Amino acid sequence: MKAIKLAFPIVLLIISGIFLIASFNVPKANLGNPNGPLYFPIGLSALMLIFCIGYFFQELKNLQKEDDYIRLLIAGRTPKLIIVTVLLGIGYAFIFEQTGFLIATILFLGALLFFINGVKKWKANIIVSLCFSFITWYAFSQLLGVSLP
Amino acid sequence: MDINSFINGFMTSLEPINIMWVIIGGILGTVVGMLPGLGPATAVAVLIPVTFGMEPVSAIILMAAIYYGAMYGGSRSSILLNTPGDGSAIAATFDGYPMARKGQAGQALAISAVASFIGGIMAVIGFIFLAMPLADFALKFGPAEYFLLMLLTLSAIVSLSLGRMVKGFIAMLLGLLLSTVGIDTQTGVYRFTMGVPHLSDGIDFLIVIIGVYAIGEVLYNFLTIDHEKKEKKEVGKIWFTKEQWKRSKWPILRSGPLGFIIGVLPGAGGSIASMISYSTEKQISKKPEEFGEGAVEGLAAPESANNAASVGAMIPLLTMGIPGSGTTAVMLGALIMLGLRPGPLLFENQPEIAWTLINSMFLGNIALVIVNILLVGLLIKILDTPAKVLYPIIVLLAFIGTYTLSYNVIDFFLLLIFGVFGLFMKVFDFPIAPLVLALIVGADMEQNFRKALLSSNGSLDIFVSTPVSIGLVILTLISLFYPLVIKAFKKKKSNNLDQSSTP
Repeated sequence: MKAIKLAFPIVLLIISGIFLIASFNVPKANLGNPNGPLYFPIGLSALMLIFCIGYFFQELKNLQKEDDYIRLLIAGRTPKLIIVTVLLGIGYAFIFEQTGFLIATILFLGALLFFINGVKKWKANIIVSLCFSFITWYAFSQLLGVSLP
Repeated sequence: MDINSFINGFMTSLEPINIMWVIIGGILGTVVGMLPGLGPATAVAVLIPVTFGMEPVSAIILMAAIYYGAMYGGSRSSILLNTPGDGSAIAATFDGYPMARKGQAGQALAISAVASFIGGIMAVIGFIFLAMPLADFALKFGPAEYFLLMLLTLSAIVSLSLGRMVKGFIAMLLGLLLSTVGIDTQTGVYRFTMGVPHLSDGIDFLIVIIGVYAIGEVLYNFLTIDHEKKEKKEVGKIWFTKEQWKRSKWPILRSGPLGFIIGVLPGAGGSIASMISYSTEKQISKKPEEFGEGAVEGLAAPESANNAASVGAMIPLLTMGIPGSGTTAVMLGALIMLGLRPGPLLFENQPEIAWTLINSMFLGNIALVIVNILLVGLLIKILDTPAKVLYPIIVLLAFIGTYTLSYNVIDFFLLLIFGVFGLFMKVFDFPIAPLVLALIVGADMEQNFRKALLSSNGSLDIFVSTPVSIGLVILTLISLFYPLVIKAFKKKKSNNLDQSSTP
């Protein structure tokens, strides 16, 4: 729990640090004020770093306090649900243009439903993934004129 | 008010296609808004792809209808399940759910729909009279004033993140930093693109919006997905008694204008409007002890206020191009993508769009009160849809929406990154609106800041050179320091109380 409580402030500290370093590496402009493109990012990332340091110490002070949402985040099958959804999303990105919208969507939605809704409800999962994939394909590509692979 | 434009807008809004979009948008918004955990911002974000390929005027009508439809819908789950769709529907749980527990669910649903309708209509009338003067006023703004107005909006939305100001600032600064990614439009310099050509146009804010609001929201709901489902209260007859109307009418009429004014203010929105109207009504009530136990006026007042606020929030968006809330920021993103640039010039160059939208709000509120009373029995069946089926569908819609933005699957990865980031923001109690708002106005804010400095040869005096800019600076300072002063005052008061109670 404590490690997770500090993880997000640390990630934010790293993001602001990276932005600050990268801001100093932004090339100077050939037009107008050469430092024009630098001022805003440097100012913002420096301010963000200051606030992130403040936030980090705030969290450090409250480290012993129980947090219901963080407890729920790591409890039961929640972490698995989040990770699998993200992994399936990555898989969807890889097969989307290879197999075409309809097949990729049936597979993606089907896999998500089987994982989230459970294998026991396989009939509902199959019907929803087939029907919904077809409806979205029809709505977007035929009715709204969106070009889908 | 320009009568000709008003009449033209009225006629356009009466076109069958536009009426159809009002009704479809209203129903879609109601449906998504009533799903527990999903609010108007998510409703608009998920349904953005539906507007692709549409005429801009129809698209804006549809999105506005989704927005206030979601406001109507949000209270359905508050009343029946004690689970608000979003912050603005929280106040509806205070007395709405106790009413449902007492077997008055039908009366609660009816009074909330009628209160929302009256609040909405009052706000549309206010909109008609306030929009043009504000747009004319905004036409006088130069880059310095625009920069300061955006700064005021951002500082207000951060300081209204009650008790979470540091987190609000971090979210806002991150949003502003993300808006600097890509080619700097003034000098052509590449910033933070890391050599990835896809990033040279910057990070598409719609991907961030869909990521944090749709994917982030679904991932967040995974935290409680296996919890026992709350029992839905029986609805019964959907109408209220004469006595209930007598008790509600004045609170509704008082809360409408109050909600409208709060909605117009930058940063404040439906949540604050409904809370203030609830506490005001409780304070002036002859029977304050009944509040929280199923007092009908405790439901009617916040419902009227939050719907009025949703209409009011459209004023800064349309007249100045500055969104004042998370949902209107999402709408601005979608409108820019459709080639529409809301702002004072919208009323000059494309008055038909502005006035058609305003008139469509009248029709939309009429359609929604009918839908929410006549079809409520059918609509609330959606609350029976298992979340485990619903969430995968929302995830899929988010992916399709993202693909239609650039037809590039690389954006799927950005969507997932921002989805996970949105989840952590919610888990760690970060406000999301400052991130989204800052990301959308960030580029304009920087350009206006630099243009102002260019015109003053680098002197910062330009930001205090006119009465308007001085006023904006003062308001920004007040919005930033007011919460700190109040906090210090409360602390001092409690210290004094402690000292006086010590023997």
